[in-house]
Amino acid sequence: MTSRLSKTGTSTFEQQFAGRVRDGVRVKTGIPELDEMLRGGFMEGDAVLVAGSAGSGKTTLALQYLVNGIVKFGEPGVYVTFEQMPDQIYRDAKNFGWDLRKMEDQDLFRLVCTSPDLLLESRGENLLDEVINEIHPRRIVIDSLSHLEMFVEKKDLRKEAYRLVSYLKTKGMSSLLIWEAGQMTGTSFSVTEVGLSFLVDCIVALKPVEIESTVRKALVILKMRGSDHDKQLRQFQITSAGIKIESAFSNYEGVMTGSPRRIASEKFMELFRGASEKHK
Amino acid sequence: MSEARQLIATLLSSEVRGELLVLFHRNSGLVDTIDGVARRIGRTGLSIENDVRDLVKLGVLKTKKIGTSEILLLDRLRDREILQAIANHVKTVKGEES
Repeated sequence: MTSRLSKTGTSTFEQQFAGRVRDGVRVKTGIPELDEMLRGGFMEGDAVLVAGSAGSGKTTLALQYLVNGIVKFGEPGVYVTFEQMPDQIYRDAKNFGWDLRKMEDQDLFRLVCTSPDLLLESRGENLLDEVINEIHPRRIVIDSLSHLEMFVEKKDLRKEAYRLVSYLKTKGMSSLLIWEAGQMTGTSFSVTEVGLSFLVDCIVALKPVEIESTVRKALVILKMRGSDHDKQLRQFQITSAGIKIESAFSNYEGVMTGSPRRIASEKFMELFRGASEKHK
Repeated sequence: MSEARQLIATLLSSEVRGELLVLFHRNSGLVDTIDGVARRIGRTGLSIENDVRDLVKLGVLKTKKIGTSEILLLDRLRDREILQAIANHVKTVKGEES
């Protein structure tokens, strides 16, 4: 077997081999509370679906995952965007203190802005091959899988998404796939209507919830293949340094359905506290 | 006319070429077909075709075949060289003026 040598002197065979995922290795998000919820991080090489409605924090979470990968764990990353232009993403990232242009200059990061049909092109070279050979990324974000719908018939969407996920896995990358999931309310909670939930290894859902006339942001891990994970719905905030996960909505029920209400014991405790205050 | 001056003249002698330069400089990771690129500056593929060819000839943009589509992308190395040449030229002109 002949093996071509790349610019860095490694053979394509070595690159393919290096692309394989290692058993039991966790890919930390670098957000301590989220890594704790994931029992150490995502499984290496897994495809993770981040689902949420507009403004729920999907892009921030995805960027933070890549930036932390580069800064904290020395893992290069690629961000593929189908809609938002790179200059907006550079600007927004800078507001969190993440200098993506500098990371690009250091060959640790690439921002690819393209059309979904080009990424899905199956004949010949893949659009990402050059970037993969340039920086050997370990993490990748696709923003968003929902855009494939514009170029692929609904019946073929799952098949095409499967091909894309398989390509990323073959290259040994841990992928974060963004999905715009409408409002995600009601009692029957479904992330996608096209069955993508079965295709991915892990699902992180983000959603805004209204509690006492205030809109708060919530995060929950709905699925994690082959691993235990936190089942609680956690509140989170987008701070100047990125996402900060806080406590669980422990005093409420029905948060996922969009109609949160205080749990009975909490109401009782409130009444009890009120009564004892009066007696003082 | 110096090479740098000729380069500047070619780059900026058309409005579309200027728009394309700004687009690719701000979004160096942009990879798209002529039609896709045109859409991003609010024009049609046909109306930018000649200017795209000029920028490819200069080496600022490069083309690549992905399946049946021809895509455009910024040649980062050549782009850096051109920017350096322009910066040097501006420095020289300023020196001559003072």
